[in-house]
Amino acid sequence: MKATDVALAIIETYPEALCVSSLGTATSALRAASDDGPHFYLGAAMGSALAAALGVAEAVTDRLVIALLGDGELLMGASTLWSVSACRPGNLIAVVLSDGVYGITGGQQLSAQTRFAAVAEALGGIAGARVRDETTLRTALRELGRPSLIEAELSERAWPGPSPFVDPARVRLAFAANAIRDVGHSGG
Amino acid sequence: MASTDLSDPPEPEPPPLAWQVVIADTLTAHGVTVAAYVPDTRLQPILSRLAENGVRLRSLTREEECVGYAAGQRIAGHRPVVLMQSSGLGNALNAIGSLAVPYRLGLPLVVSMRGTLGEANQSQVPIGRATRRLLGTLGIQAFPVRSAATAVEVTAGVLTLAFEAGECAAVILEPELGGGREGN
Repeated sequence: MKATDVALAIIETYPEALCVSSLGTATSALRAASDDGPHFYLGAAMGSALAAALGVAEAVTDRLVIALLGDGELLMGASTLWSVSACRPGNLIAVVLSDGVYGITGGQQLSAQTRFAAVAEALGGIAGARVRDETTLRTALRELGRPSLIEAELSERAWPGPSPFVDPARVRLAFAANAIRDVGHSGG
Repeated sequence: MASTDLSDPPEPEPPPLAWQVVIADTLTAHGVTVAAYVPDTRLQPILSRLAENGVRLRSLTREEECVGYAAGQRIAGHRPVVLMQSSGLGNALNAIGSLAVPYRLGLPLVVSMRGTLGEANQSQVPIGRATRRLLGTLGIQAFPVRSAATAVEVTAGVLTLAFEAGECAAVILEPELGGGREGN
């Protein structure tokens, strides 16, 4: 399973979801899988993507929100798992691209086992799963209670393709149009 | 393993000062619906008032996370506010500088000052005296409040910069406002 396969499983399972991707591989994979769909692609701010997804989830409660995260990314922002456990948004799924390396910086090894799914389960209120193939991933996406955290083990490291250096203005305008289309009453 | 014994009751919250009420009510009047924060003595009465006004409170784990959370709220069209102690600005800089500013998400910040006038804790001083310059280096304008008389004008102006002009901007709660226990 490659990063793009994980992103494709998300997009095909939930074509209407609002997605948030962390810098680097996750942003490239989400761009590739969604054909540059109107998602919240982060170009930097390592460690903040899950927090941003939590903010979106609590703002747009009638839409499913999916965070696509690198494992180094989530290691840096791991304390947000505690916030997700506290807030327990029923419309949030976090999917971690788990390959044990920092991707965009050159493939350096993470220094520890991440075990994010087990940590999420231990915190309470988050359903955790670790998956190794697309079939199990798609089942977990559909069937886990929410919020959920799915660690998707990558068997192959392949750069998805599109540049992760996004234009923030375009990202903001496209995402806002997608997120706000059903909630005309929410402030400007 | 036994849980920590929290047998001491929490200290009762002091009654809010005029400026704390004014700032909370101005935030509410401008449509703020959620406050992301890391706790601070002087911020607490503002937060309590916001809660009374129906604003959702989100006590998060670090200031950077507050900025990330607020970025998600803002890009989805909502009006968040981030409240922090100045000592937390260092924690927040990455999310401000590489998310809120380049995406022009226009976040209002309310920063309770430590490390300046009257500070007794040496460790608080370097970030405190650098706070406004740190913000300014990222292009964020910061406006001091030193009395209740200017609290409405400054807070409303910062919210206009944030929500209308799309610029992150900060209300700086200066020590002269009182309401803290910096000597503790």
